[in-house]
Amino acid sequence: MADYKNVEELTYKEASTELELIIRSLESGDMELEQSLESYTRGVELLKSLRTRLSEAEQKVSVLLQDVDGTDRLVPGEPADDSDALNL
Amino acid sequence: MNVWNLTAEKPSVPGADGEALSVSQAAELAAGALNNIPKITVLGEVTGFRGPNARSGHCYFQIKDESAALDCIVWKGAYAKRAFDLRDGLQVQFTGTFDLYKPTGKMSFKASSFTLAGEGLLRQQVAQLAEKLRLEGLMEAERKRRVPVFCTRVAVVTSLSGAVINDVKRTLRRRNPLVEVVCVGAKVQGEGAPAELIEGLRRAAAITPAPDCILLVRGGGSFEDLMTFNDEALARAVAACPVPVVTGIGHEPDNSICDMVSDRRCSTPTAAAESVAPEFSELVHVLDTREQRLQAACSSLVTGAVSESDLARERMERAMRVRLDRLRLVVEQASRRPCLTDPTNIVDRRRIELAQTSDRLLLAGDRVQERFAADLEQIAPRLAASTSGFARKRHELDLAASRMRATGAQMLSAPMAGLGRAAAALDALSPLKVLGRGYSIAYDGAGAVATHASSFAEGDALRVRMADGDVFGTVTSVQTSGAASSEDA
Repeated sequence: MADYKNVEELTYKEASTELELIIRSLESGDMELEQSLESYTRGVELLKSLRTRLSEAEQKVSVLLQDVDGTDRLVPGEPADDSDALNL
Repeated sequence: MNVWNLTAEKPSVPGADGEALSVSQAAELAAGALNNIPKITVLGEVTGFRGPNARSGHCYFQIKDESAALDCIVWKGAYAKRAFDLRDGLQVQFTGTFDLYKPTGKMSFKASSFTLAGEGLLRQQVAQLAEKLRLEGLMEAERKRRVPVFCTRVAVVTSLSGAVINDVKRTLRRRNPLVEVVCVGAKVQGEGAPAELIEGLRRAAAITPAPDCILLVRGGGSFEDLMTFNDEALARAVAACPVPVVTGIGHEPDNSICDMVSDRRCSTPTAAAESVAPEFSELVHVLDTREQRLQAACSSLVTGAVSESDLARERMERAMRVRLDRLRLVVEQASRRPCLTDPTNIVDRRRIELAQTSDRLLLAGDRVQERFAADLEQIAPRLAASTSGFARKRHELDLAASRMRATGAQMLSAPMAGLGRAAAALDALSPLKVLGRGYSIAYDGAGAVATHASSFAEGDALRVRMADGDVFGTVTSVQTSGAASSEDA
């Protein structure tokens, strides 16, 4: 079994990129059957995780604030106000 | 001009006393008054400008403000020295003098030079800066960095108090809530705004982990409001920013220098926000497509493997079948051979052959014997016959021998008689016979018969032939006839 990172530790983009690579290598067709089945399993896992993230996605907003000593730090910010949601 | 000034206490104006002037005099009067106005600078908006006159090259148009308008003339020579083309709507400062064209009585302002003013001036400066940065290559398409299709972390540099930041957040939440928004506040107009924005860009680029792109956005405003984004230092900061910068400044037609040097220019803040990440439904669609591709790729791999193994099995079976068939054929061929089907046949055949050979041998022996016997029988009479002529041949030989003897004797008798006679004659004539009668023959040293005594000298060797032998001696003296001679023997 290849060393796969825990799916949940990947960012959406990393997971998405890995999924695309897996599909491409599967599509290229020059993989060993065992390896391809392993890749397939990983692909399904990634796909599931990505779908979950899409369905559960919530906007994350932070604000870069400058402390008195001049260093920047990120503090959670207000997500977009959704007062217009019904108007969409 | 002062011909009509009849009073000393106040400056007199011709016609002021109610006396009528001619039009020329009036026009002259007005022209003089206008000429007294020194060179002035007038700020106004150009209107009715139709370019230089096709024939003369002079420009005739008007300048106006809210409540007044002036005819304006720029001579060909002055227009040739212009820094920009005049056109309607430009705010321009014209420097020149008034003039009255007497034939028509029209007053006009003759501008000897003009410069841009107000927004026009600003626009010109902006255009010059844009050209400068363009020449430096800051707007080249090649140096623009690629903004990722899906930026998951986006820094927004703008005013945190305006509506714009909320527009951006709302747009991104609606379009793709996976995009993380980091807000970096900065003043977007007025004194010090460029410096704050530059600092904002720097801080945004320094965030860890680094954002995928920076949105530099500002809502709509007047040209002067948007001038912040035409600042040279800010434009250079945008171009030099280590993170790709997407601009959305003002509304559609606005185009700032920051827009020109940024990595992607969008017409509004909302458009800029939309450009950094795909629509959520697109992601879903991408995932759907990927799922299908994943399934298809995997099932085609499995199908491929199955059909490959089927093919291998078929080939193996076919190869095995062929091999077995060939072996079977060999065995069958072997089993059909007579040595196996009928082993006694060989012995029998050999026995028959042997019997035949033996018969042939016996017959041949008999035949040979018979032939030799027959030959022998024929040879005996031939042998007997071959000696039958011998007696006659011997008789003939005997006859021939006696005849040969007789003939030989006959042949020899006559010559023999002749020969006897010749011998007797020869004997009678032989000198040796003379020697018998007492004569002898002398020979000199060389063996020659000496017939004269003078052929000898004292001391020479001498041989004398007698009837029965030779006498050898040495001459002691020679005496020819008539002289005594003595001889030793």
